[in-house]
Amino acid sequence: MEKEMALNDVVLSIRGLKKQFGNLEVLHGIDLDIIDGEQIAIIGPSGCGKSTFLRCINCMEDPSAGTIIFDGENLADMKVDINVHRQKIGMVFQQFNLFNNLTVLENITLAPITVAKKKISRFDRKGLAQIKKDAEEKAYALLRRIGLEEKANVYPSTLSGGQKQRIAIVRALAMDPKVILFDEPTSALDPEMVGEVLDLMRSLADEGMTMVIVTHEMGFAREAADRILFIDEGVIKEEGTPAEVFDNPQHPRLKDFLSKVL
Amino acid sequence: MWQEFVKQFITRKGYVNVLNGLAITVEIAILGLLIGIVIGTLIAIVRVMPKYKLLPRVLDKICGCYVELFRGTPMVVQLLIGYWVLLPALDVQVNSGVPVAVIVFGLNSGAYVSEIMRGGINSVDPGQMEAGRAVGLSYATTMMKIVVPQAVKNILPTLGNEFIVLIKETSVVSFIAVTDLYKSFKQLGDPTYNYTVPYLMLALTYLVMVLLISAGVRALETKLKKSEK
Repeated sequence: MEKEMALNDVVLSIRGLKKQFGNLEVLHGIDLDIIDGEQIAIIGPSGCGKSTFLRCINCMEDPSAGTIIFDGENLADMKVDINVHRQKIGMVFQQFNLFNNLTVLENITLAPITVAKKKISRFDRKGLAQIKKDAEEKAYALLRRIGLEEKANVYPSTLSGGQKQRIAIVRALAMDPKVILFDEPTSALDPEMVGEVLDLMRSLADEGMTMVIVTHEMGFAREAADRILFIDEGVIKEEGTPAEVFDNPQHPRLKDFLSKVL
Repeated sequence: MWQEFVKQFITRKGYVNVLNGLAITVEIAILGLLIGIVIGTLIAIVRVMPKYKLLPRVLDKICGCYVELFRGTPMVVQLLIGYWVLLPALDVQVNSGVPVAVIVFGLNSGAYVSEIMRGGINSVDPGQMEAGRAVGLSYATTMMKIVVPQAVKNILPTLGNEFIVLIKETSVVSFIAVTDLYKSFKQLGDPTYNYTVPYLMLALTYLVMVLLISAGVRALETKLKKSEK
């Protein structure tokens, strides 16, 4: 397959990732290479550690052991400036987590403006104005894409769950991430809003955005992902293409899991 | 009795004195609260910071001591120590006690505001901090741009209350020779030793101020609520 071609196509390389909360080890050593342009769906029973694994990738939870190589640096190393790398690793949360005190437009432009500002002098007023203008133009373009341009100046509290989540995705896109992590992006949505969020994610996938998605939407995982990981009891129990995992499951735990959710 | 008060207040220009006293009372309370908010916010941030490293742990202990110290002693005592102990010890000359009062009230209210602010910060959904960190903003940036503004909104009524407490507590600044509202009204009664009307008027003035502040805080709250709709 073309995706197994070259090593430098690997966006994120995870080796021996472990996570302990107190004395409880929830991840027992996970290895994963995330290849540029692929969509990985992570499935598994509640409490299996799939969300914890996702949150370890950008060190929202600091891994207890293992390495996460991104851009030539090990994110698990506490000395690495994690903020710089997180700018290139988008994250979308179950609860959307839009900034409640900012308008939709400000939600999208806050990080790009803050990051760009650091690179120029505080007294470069022209440069600052240009940064703001660029960020807003880009934000408007992204909002247009999801058909929410007219919501640019409202606050998140006025939006529906589906709108919030689409804006949260756009907020991640505004940073031009190399990969986006989705933590159960549709689990907190009313059923009628799940579709609009999945549609947006599908169109990102079609454009070749690298995505790692923790999800309970098996239909979406099957159709949109290149690779499925089944995590159970803190390890990857099975992995493969959607066809392999869904139509020909090997591990008894996976068979059991699928029989309950399909 | 009443005529005597009018005589003192109007004919002998006592109102000038009272207005000056009012200005000083308001000045000490407002500046004190502003200093208190700045100090309180900084302390609150230190106290909610993750404590993996040594520095935050040390700062946390220092802030803890600060808060206990200022909450554990009366305001009057702090004023007296500031004016009669620290000023001579540091060999600082001042023309009036007002700057000392402002600083002491600021430090004191900083201790109280820090606890209020800590509650406010903890009341903000942790997802807000996570989202900020996830897009690559630093802890400090996320705190100042996302969490603290939401915390302030949550604690606005309590902060208004702190202002009310502060404005009433300024009535002790005459201990360090500041002519505040209380002192200026007292002086109206001094020539006759009849304090009935001056002190009742003093109470009324404080009451009106407090009612005005309450109304102001309520209006601000409504406005802030509306602004996010």
